[in-house]
Amino acid sequence: MRIDRTHRKWLAASLIVLGVATAVYLFYAAHSPAGSSGGSPIGLAFGMIGSSFMLFAGLLAARKKLPVWRLGRAQSWMRGHLWLGLLSLPMILFHGGFRFGGLLTSMLMILLIIVVASGLFGAALQHYMPNVMTAEVTKETIFEQIGHVREGMIAEADAIIATVTGSGNAEDLKTAAGSAAVETVALTEEAAMPLSRFYVREMRPFLQSNGTDNHALADAGTAHAVFVKLRTLLSPEAYDTVKKLEEICDEQRQLRRQARLHHWLHGWLMLHIPLSFALLLLGCVHAVMALRY
Amino acid sequence: MSTSASGLVELTIDGNKVSVAAGTTVFDAARMQGIPIPTLCHQQNETPVGVCRMCVVDVNARVFTASCVRPVEAGMVVNTNSEKVQRARRTLVELLMADHPSPCTREQHSGDCELEAMARRDHLTRSRFAPHRTGRAKDSSSPSIAVDFDSCILCDRCVRGCGEIRNHFVLARMGKGTGAGIAFDDQRAMGESSCVSCGECMVSCPTGALTNKVFTHTALGVGPTYEPVPVEELRQLPFFRGVSGTFLSLNRGAVVRRQFKRGEIICREGEYGSTAFYILEGKARVSISNPMAHVKTKGVVKKFLGKLSSKLAQRQQDQRDEETYKRWIPIDAPVDLDYDSPVAELNPGDLFGEMTCMSLYPRSATVRAETDCTMLEMLRNVLDIMQRNKNFRAQLEKSYRQRALDSHLRAVPVFAELTDEFIGSLRENVELVRYSPGQVICRQGEPADSFYLIRIGFVKVTQTHLGGEMVMAYLSRSEYFGETGLLREDVRTATCTALDHVEVVRIGASDFKRMLAEFPQVRGKLEVVEQERMEMNRARLAVLQNVPLDDFLTQGLMEAQSLLLLDLTSCTRCDACVRACADAHDGVTRLVREGLRFDHYLVATSCRQCLDPLCMVGCPVGSIRRRNSLEVIIEDWCIGCGLCAENCPYGNINIHPFHVMVDDLTSPGHKKAMLKQKATSCDLCTEYAEPSCVYACPHDAAHRVDPRKFFAGLLKPAAATDKAP
Repeated sequence: MRIDRTHRKWLAASLIVLGVATAVYLFYAAHSPAGSSGGSPIGLAFGMIGSSFMLFAGLLAARKKLPVWRLGRAQSWMRGHLWLGLLSLPMILFHGGFRFGGLLTSMLMILLIIVVASGLFGAALQHYMPNVMTAEVTKETIFEQIGHVREGMIAEADAIIATVTGSGNAEDLKTAAGSAAVETVALTEEAAMPLSRFYVREMRPFLQSNGTDNHALADAGTAHAVFVKLRTLLSPEAYDTVKKLEEICDEQRQLRRQARLHHWLHGWLMLHIPLSFALLLLGCVHAVMALRY
Repeated sequence: MSTSASGLVELTIDGNKVSVAAGTTVFDAARMQGIPIPTLCHQQNETPVGVCRMCVVDVNARVFTASCVRPVEAGMVVNTNSEKVQRARRTLVELLMADHPSPCTREQHSGDCELEAMARRDHLTRSRFAPHRTGRAKDSSSPSIAVDFDSCILCDRCVRGCGEIRNHFVLARMGKGTGAGIAFDDQRAMGESSCVSCGECMVSCPTGALTNKVFTHTALGVGPTYEPVPVEELRQLPFFRGVSGTFLSLNRGAVVRRQFKRGEIICREGEYGSTAFYILEGKARVSISNPMAHVKTKGVVKKFLGKLSSKLAQRQQDQRDEETYKRWIPIDAPVDLDYDSPVAELNPGDLFGEMTCMSLYPRSATVRAETDCTMLEMLRNVLDIMQRNKNFRAQLEKSYRQRALDSHLRAVPVFAELTDEFIGSLRENVELVRYSPGQVICRQGEPADSFYLIRIGFVKVTQTHLGGEMVMAYLSRSEYFGETGLLREDVRTATCTALDHVEVVRIGASDFKRMLAEFPQVRGKLEVVEQERMEMNRARLAVLQNVPLDDFLTQGLMEAQSLLLLDLTSCTRCDACVRACADAHDGVTRLVREGLRFDHYLVATSCRQCLDPLCMVGCPVGSIRRRNSLEVIIEDWCIGCGLCAENCPYGNINIHPFHVMVDDLTSPGHKKAMLKQKATSCDLCTEYAEPSCVYACPHDAAHRVDPRKFFAGLLKPAAATDKAP
């Protein structure tokens, strides 16, 4: 979600709530003989407000499970999640008087800080990353389809090489490449040797890789140099074919980039969500224990 | 008497006052009044040439005139059957018979030479004129068609059949005076010419000049259930009377007699076929499988935080706003099906499967033998020639008038209130008219002389403007056109063209006006519809006021009314939109988060509600249609044939299998589960204020927008002069 001017109302409301809470806390802390305490009425109030903010933030997951229900636009829930989740940290700090307390409360505080920090990190990523992905991955596909698209590219490249080297035919190429089929010129075995060697040793392993390794073709600049060099080893009639292979490599690079960006976009949730649930669970335990004992 | 403001011409034919559109021929004007005029060279499906002169009529001029080429004139008084006219025709027959070897080959083989039939009718046994043979005698070089130049009466039907109908242009007229005759490719022998032996010339020929040599045999099917019918027997059947014996002989095997036991299925909905059926004996039941309601989300939670369960809701639970009237499902048969009980009966004399046969559409319904049935199953070439046959047409029209006109008219909501008496009075006046693919039914700017109700096929409605021609709508069975010009008593406002083999019910201007006068409520409804159509047209024309960017055009965004756009700078690719769509539609998403980009938006693969919805063309049951708001919806009686999905240029319609319960035919009274295919496309979640995909997007990235408004800033404003009239 982009944090832009449309968030001004939420920002203003959050600042007001934070300001009022800070004023109350400072007044309360200054006038309380024993100092601030989570068990005092004001402390409990802060705890309840902070907990309810956390609970609301946690309910976003449930809201996403019921997308059709008209419970308010998901966008509003997300904004609430973002700002109220953020506000929950000062509220809980006011609740505990900036002290971590015993083992359980310390764990809770650490969890809360990690959850809020990871949330902020995620918000920042989701603010910037879509722009990056849009600009850098023009041939973007559905993330789950990347493997399938890659298989299609390999089949297309195989068919091109088979046609150039004379071991395949144009019909196979047409089938593999679909509407993107190029006019591929068959070369003699000797003339095609540099191309087929390059394909087997360099390009195909690159196409098969899932993006975790470093490869010469993985960098656009290096790849360009590689293809320029390859052209010098081939006759001009093979240049169109080389261009097509270069385009396939470019697409593969984009897919690898998309996969990486996708992991950045959503990977932080692997930390944020489980810890959030743990936080809510331990928060309930803390509330029961504190109120009962 | 004069030409009226609406462009109608008033004249008198055999004492009857008649109003027809300017430009109509005297022959057609008489035909519309049911007055027959004999002819040899004129055929409905060919351009009239007026060479045989058999259709001469008296228009009180110096000489008689050939009615097939003479346009009507205001105040014209026509006499089609006076003693003088009859005498002139008899003389013409005598002259033609003088050069005609009687009996000719056709008369010998099948006894249906049209010239000799005329001579018999006039009791002419011998001609008073001396014969003059061509001297070219016969050409037997073609393996399939025998040519007897002596039998040729130079009517040109074969020449026009070869050129106009089949576009082969092999045949032409050569020579002049007594040496005139037909010729193949600059006087070559037929067997050496570029003739492809399609047989059209032979079928067109009224005499024995071009006859079948019987060298090929068509076989519709083999096996005991396919019983070939001998030509002689076919010709005994009333509806084959008048069909060229040469044609039937050539196409023996293209029409077979089939016996079906009670309960046996004759054809199934959704199947592809290429034949039509004509019921000789017995009754059949035509039906479509249980109507499947709109896919609707069920409002309960199955399990904790589980997905919403969706189901195919009952019909009553998801009635659309505009469904205030009884709905009928159009099918490829003489009857429409009642929505609530989609079953009807077919009787002897009924023809079904015409659209499948002529235009190769999927079967629109399942037909089952209600009793033991005997049917004729025929291929397209037979049906085609039958449709041109006057006897068959007359019988078909009679059957239609008696059985189907009522329900067909009432299936149109605006006509639902017509009384039985009025429809009864229309029965004898309406005309069934056929049009070939591409043929113009009515043209913009012409006088409005008729109202048309579509019986078969699809009609494209276009308007011509300064910027070119624009498609305004596609109309299918039970839809109508031509009302605007008649209501305004003005000229046609659009051109209507047959997209495939179209048959329309034509109601003349006088009957239409009578209906408006007798039923003011019908006029009111028609005016509302006309207003809506004009509004739609204006909305479309407003589009012309912008000159779009290239991408906007090439991506077809200009044609879209509503786009699902994903703002790629906000979208985190979380797929919440896809999941929401799936949850709202029985677990089957109707959007794919992939497509072309425009600016920084992704145009998602989801119905665009096109202004020119190609998806509608060809639907055999008319289940994909527009709401009054231009919204394209797929109705629940979809049979899942997939034509709309094939036609959608953007891949926005998908076919999905759904589990449904249907009657178990092997165990009456019980139901069984089966998979039923159904086309799905975005329905904009009409039951909600906002589409679920947009509502469920947590990042404010998904938007349903009118592209022209949304991208207005990117589109150049047009000059004022670009405004359409």
